[in-house]
Amino acid sequence: MLGRGVKRKWSCLEEAEVVSEARQLVLGLCLEKLQRYQAGVELSLRRSVLLINTLRQIQEEMRSDGVGSCDVHPDSCLLRDDFREDVTVTCPGCSEGESPPELPSQEANGSDQQKPPAAVSDAVNAMGYLGDLALDDIFEDIDTSMYETSDLPSAWASGSLPQSHSTAGSLQSCLMDLNELDHIMEILVVETHLVGPGLQNGFSL
Amino acid sequence: MKIIIATKKKKDGVLKCVCNIWWTFLCVKGYTDVYSKLCLSTSINESLSLCQYMADIISTVEFNHTGELLATGDKGGRVVIFQQEPESKNQPQCRGEYNVYSTFQSHEPEFDYLKSLEIEEKINKIRWLPQKNAAQFLLSTNDKTIKLWKISERDKRPEGYNLKEEDGRYRDPNTVTTLRVPIFRPMDLMVEASPRRVFANAHTYHINSIAVNSDYETYLSADDLRINLWHLEITDRSFNIVDIKPANMEELTEVITAAEFHPNQCNTFVYSSSKGTIRMCDMRASALCDKHAKMFEEPEDPNNRSFFSEIISSISDVKFSHSGRYMMTRDYLSVKIWDLNMETRPVETYQVHEYLRSKLCSLYENDCIFDKFECCWNGNDSVVMTGSYNNFFRMFDRGYRQDVTLEASRENSKPRSVLKPRKVSTGGKRKKDEISVDSLDFNKKILHTAWHPLDNIIAVATTNNLYIFQEKLN
Repeated sequence: MLGRGVKRKWSCLEEAEVVSEARQLVLGLCLEKLQRYQAGVELSLRRSVLLINTLRQIQEEMRSDGVGSCDVHPDSCLLRDDFREDVTVTCPGCSEGESPPELPSQEANGSDQQKPPAAVSDAVNAMGYLGDLALDDIFEDIDTSMYETSDLPSAWASGSLPQSHSTAGSLQSCLMDLNELDHIMEILVVETHLVGPGLQNGFSL
Repeated sequence: MKIIIATKKKKDGVLKCVCNIWWTFLCVKGYTDVYSKLCLSTSINESLSLCQYMADIISTVEFNHTGELLATGDKGGRVVIFQQEPESKNQPQCRGEYNVYSTFQSHEPEFDYLKSLEIEEKINKIRWLPQKNAAQFLLSTNDKTIKLWKISERDKRPEGYNLKEEDGRYRDPNTVTTLRVPIFRPMDLMVEASPRRVFANAHTYHINSIAVNSDYETYLSADDLRINLWHLEITDRSFNIVDIKPANMEELTEVITAAEFHPNQCNTFVYSSSKGTIRMCDMRASALCDKHAKMFEEPEDPNNRSFFSEIISSISDVKFSHSGRYMMTRDYLSVKIWDLNMETRPVETYQVHEYLRSKLCSLYENDCIFDKFECCWNGNDSVVMTGSYNNFFRMFDRGYRQDVTLEASRENSKPRSVLKPRKVSTGGKRKKDEISVDSLDFNKKILHTAWHPLDNIIAVATTNNLYIFQEKLN
């Protein structure tokens, strides 16, 4: 906001900050709830959907307010249909509704963005409908070393959002966090495509 | 002067429209002394007939069609049925207490091997079938499987077998020298529950509702994304009548939260969603009722918009009135009554605990915002009831436009003790006997309530206890 060269009154700025802080808080809570799950117990689909919708809403608001990257992440190419053709179905003849996930030919793909961090795949597990099945087993052989050292998911999980005292500082960290958030969201989207397309090839639930 | 006239009219027991207007005017002061019977909302003469049952967490409560039986389901998969004792001659003013009639294990925990997930045995819903013969039938469901249970009484047993001793051991045939005809002798009443049908493997997602059709032959079961229609006699087949699962699960933004059949029209049913909409469908229109006949939705109030707007608009329960003309929905903060002929907005809205609106963030943090409260009508559709936190429950009298907050607690547990209305203080100054919002116990929630179909008897379930209250008869 400051960088735009637009003069604003102090109260507007203050209000915007409060809103931004509230957003960050709710955002953090959203992600924390999505990542938290009990092994062996299926999460409520309703709860997951409501959490994801809230998350999307906050993202939209942040985008429309011009805070953070409003451009679509370059890896949105993953959302295109042609990506789905790369995915192979490995278990034909599975009964309806119970098809195990196909193993995507990850090695063939050059993009590193498609390799999900272990913690995020946990989050996907929590979001029952995006990851119907235990994805940890699928991605066992995938090298996630570059993500495992990252504090990113745990930072979100512990709710330790950057607490900055200066406006500029908070904006900076806000921008940084949003980039990382975009990153996570893209990865989560990727996860769904790894599981989803197979289901569309005739093994719908 | 006018007030006195109104009072006199009330004493005669004759209700006229003009009295209602007076009542609205009078409700500020205590008119309770005179109109305890007619207007439950401010009646402090609710006497307590306590029936306490320590159980696993109660997950559903349902009266049968006569109100004689009250069924509860719990998290451990058990069903407990209470029966109302006949009125005793000693205490004609006190209707019979409810005592345990039958207990059985309805569902057991299961394991889904393909998904490596447990299937909880918690009973999500119980629905009674109308009685057709000596036995009672009910449907109970957990997340995946619905079962039809037959509850029958046995008060006689055969005695005098030729080949068996009384204790069941077989006699040595060589000792049998005479023949006799076994006869039935009375015995202590035994209530047996046996599963007559198991309706399984039809739901991929968690079942949240079951509803018996007015044709008493079919029923529906609804999960997060689909609704199936069953015939009570056929267990290996069901018809899918609603399917909102998107081709791409990533596009999923809405789930089904509750469904119910119309009480009179066997072709009509409704289902509510997590986005606060209710869709009414007509099964005559097509086999798959994805296109609704009517959609009920109230436009959002822009003043109340927040991050949590969608979550609190999610409908947790939908119930038709007994008349079939209205339906009631429960979202997080309010109860809404809809006229089935008007889709644009509800005809009545009652705030259950509006003081929580400023606390939504904390309630989101502790997950309370996802609590699913149920609601119910009284027998003549004049009063609606729903639960809240701190073991409070609320009644709204539609006719007199009044409401009352009551508490189900140990302090009120002495026989014939009268329930005192409770109040949550919202302003800065807390009056005596009021409770401040911050001292509410959010772990004590009343999610399940039920109203006797014919009398003013209510069943209120706290986490572990079932309270039954009745109207004081003078």
